[in-house]
Amino acid sequence: MTMPTDKRAAPAAVQSGSARPASLWGDTLGNILHQRNAIVGLTIIGFFIVVAVLAEQIATFDPTTVLLDVEKGAKKLAAPCIHALGCAAERPEHYFGIDQNIRDVFSRVVFGTRVSLQIGLVTVGFAIVLGTTIGAVSGFLGGAVDNLFMRVMDVLLAFPALLLSIAIVVVLGTSLINAQLAIGIVAIPIYARIMRASVLSIRERDFVTASRALGESSTGLLVRRILPNALTPLIVQGTLGIAGAVLDVAALSFLGLGAQPPLAEWGSMIGQARNSMFSAPHLVLFPGIALALTVLGFNLLGDGLRDALDPRLNR
Amino acid sequence: MTRTKTRSPILALLATMAIIAAACGGAATPAPSAEPTPAPTVGPTAVPFAGLQYPEDGNSACGTEGYEGQMGLIKAIDATTVEFTLCAPDAAFLSKIAFASLGIQDGDYLASTGGGGDTLIRNPVGTGAYKLKAWTSGSEIALEAYADYWGEQPGTPNVVFRWSGEAAQRLVELQSGNVDGIDNPGTDDFATIAADPSLALYPRVALSTMYLGMNNTKAPWDNEKVRKAIALGIDRQRIVDNFYPAGSSVADYFTPCEIPGGCGGDPWYDFDPAAAKALLTEAGFPDGFATKLHLRDVVRGYLPAPVVVAQDIQAQLKANLNITAEIDVQDASTYLGAASRGELPGLFILGWGADYPDVTNFLDVFFGVGSGIRFGDKWEDIMGPLTEGGATSDPAARAALYTTANNAIREHIPMVPMAHGGSGTAYRADVTGAHSSPLGNEQFSAMKAGDRDTLVWMQNGEPGGLYCPDETDGESLRVCTQINESLYAYEVGGTAPIPSLATGCEANADSTVWTCTLREGVTFHNGAVMDANDVVTTYAVMWDAAHPLHVGRADQGLFEYWTYLFAAFLNPPAA
Repeated sequence: MTMPTDKRAAPAAVQSGSARPASLWGDTLGNILHQRNAIVGLTIIGFFIVVAVLAEQIATFDPTTVLLDVEKGAKKLAAPCIHALGCAAERPEHYFGIDQNIRDVFSRVVFGTRVSLQIGLVTVGFAIVLGTTIGAVSGFLGGAVDNLFMRVMDVLLAFPALLLSIAIVVVLGTSLINAQLAIGIVAIPIYARIMRASVLSIRERDFVTASRALGESSTGLLVRRILPNALTPLIVQGTLGIAGAVLDVAALSFLGLGAQPPLAEWGSMIGQARNSMFSAPHLVLFPGIALALTVLGFNLLGDGLRDALDPRLNR
Repeated sequence: MTRTKTRSPILALLATMAIIAAACGGAATPAPSAEPTPAPTVGPTAVPFAGLQYPEDGNSACGTEGYEGQMGLIKAIDATTVEFTLCAPDAAFLSKIAFASLGIQDGDYLASTGGGGDTLIRNPVGTGAYKLKAWTSGSEIALEAYADYWGEQPGTPNVVFRWSGEAAQRLVELQSGNVDGIDNPGTDDFATIAADPSLALYPRVALSTMYLGMNNTKAPWDNEKVRKAIALGIDRQRIVDNFYPAGSSVADYFTPCEIPGGCGGDPWYDFDPAAAKALLTEAGFPDGFATKLHLRDVVRGYLPAPVVVAQDIQAQLKANLNITAEIDVQDASTYLGAASRGELPGLFILGWGADYPDVTNFLDVFFGVGSGIRFGDKWEDIMGPLTEGGATSDPAARAALYTTANNAIREHIPMVPMAHGGSGTAYRADVTGAHSSPLGNEQFSAMKAGDRDTLVWMQNGEPGGLYCPDETDGESLRVCTQINESLYAYEVGGTAPIPSLATGCEANADSTVWTCTLREGVTFHNGAVMDANDVVTTYAVMWDAAHPLHVGRADQGLFEYWTYLFAAFLNPPAA
């Protein structure tokens, strides 16, 4: 997993077919498109991205509007009503039914997509930036700095992730931002360790030594030579990490420590409807499906990326 | 409301002995004070009964400087007679002394525990049909029948209390037969239970009020127009229709109308969003403002779905008044504490369930002289008629005074009364004697769980402590009711006071002196015999804030119910 994919390895990877000299990214894309997992994952994620971007157009109601204000006779916990599936035409359509606060579940699930994707990207982005910096500096400098950073990371890793995030949220106060921050902090050690391992192995390679001999500064070596070659495992881990982050924030929201009402967020939707699980199962079913699909999408893509980016598996 | 809560137990013991010595003194020789006073046991061979009185000097506390309470003097006439002298007539006296917080404690046991701390809180000693067997924190409280109980032995020898905040879990436990009875089924589950032949639903009369509180010392609630805008700007009917079970109603008054005399005066304002918005503009907030909406996520009879109701209020505030209210769910005991201390800056959702069926239990508790500061500063024109009403026994005169008070509340709007919440309990169908108490104090000794020897009851939460003079939570009081008994009790499943540890209490002509005759042969769970001195000590400990045994729970020690019941402490702590 820590094998570098430097450019000199690329021509060997594309043996037959293309006569064009391939780039790293071109290669990767080509490889991904040969992975069935990755394609399925990409499709799912693409679908959700479209939903998130076009949420206003897709949703049939405002996600926080109480239907009583706009629609006479709306009943709480009403089952889904879809005209195409035989629901009486005079009844207003609610694809996923109505929730305990008399809001349209479909619109809430749609807007929840936006929140969840944002959470995943922001959280993992935060963790990657900090983790990479710590890992790279640690691996490159070595010695006491390395020791200090890595022991701090060990301490963070020693706590169960969700428990530590709950503790962080309780200290910072309950809000979606703090929940993301907490999940992000908890994820830092993973990226720091991956980055450090990559840097440790790459900094001893001949092309690094060559650069150093040519007079490249330490910063230049790290930023221009080592980092680009250490990205692969990070990308894979990051993609898988998004799935984890989406789940973790949903878990915090389920516990009431993340998204605050009336924001439409899948975890909090499931959490608030848990007492109606038997009388109105659609309240937990649809956000649950959306959550599961998103996580599945990122996991499949992550798996696909790992295969695509691993030169040992090149076909 | 800060006060030293822990005192040296040695000091406590010395002081207790001093009190006893003082009571024994008077005309008698000082000799008895030298020897330890024997346990107040009453037996054929016991030393002559030395009755306690409080205050020790035998002078009524009424009219003394700085004292605003209604209790004047408590005196043990003989081993089985206690005399209460009140500062003013009290028509609700019997209902008050039946309350669970006034359950009679063993005076010696109180002294031996220092009047508080974990020993007392977790090991209650009472006279009830059940005694505590084990309290496993976070899991369950087990009670067993008390073999030497003075009355009839309970139908089921063991009772186990369990708890879950989740209505769905409580229902599943009941359906699967793990528990025999549950409190507060979810609003949407009433129909499910009624349709299930193996279960029985017992609706509970709506003797409770949910209100939206505001602290008038905090901006913008210091502006009466803002408070009125909130009162006019929320459609309460919509909340009751959609989120409350059958049997609930919109609150037209703070006191539910089932309470005699509670419903005098003009009913609450009608929903009028346009007028509300105009008032808010007039108050200087044409574009609304941002605030918080505080609550605890605990289901109570007055609030069947806390976060759901909060979200609807939040949505209405936004839609009708453009007020952005951030929902702030707090830990239950933190929340109750913050509310009592008047620290909540935003709107807060709370409620009140009847302890005894009298107007004083609603209005005096929230707006009377002894009420707290949860709504900020008090209003003289609300307090005045309440004080007068509590001291009036003529029903017509009382009704007139409460009408005045209700109208003053409507004018000042310290809070918005939202709903009287109907709730219920559900039991397995083979539980005989099952009932819902309108006061929330179901009596398990009156039930029999089929052919099983243990009745398992699942309520909403774990009690904070079982020394009930210092508890206010219904979850604690229900457990205390099984273990401790008061001089009177409420009839099973009802609200009328009936004799319990007292066989009767007689009032003098103007209802200011009540003489109670105690039941003979009553023993505490530790074997001690109950006598009049235990009654005096139990009451004195709550009453006198300077009493060495006035300690209670380490994190509480407020003895709030005393001030609800009798207006004020003796030697009240400096505010």
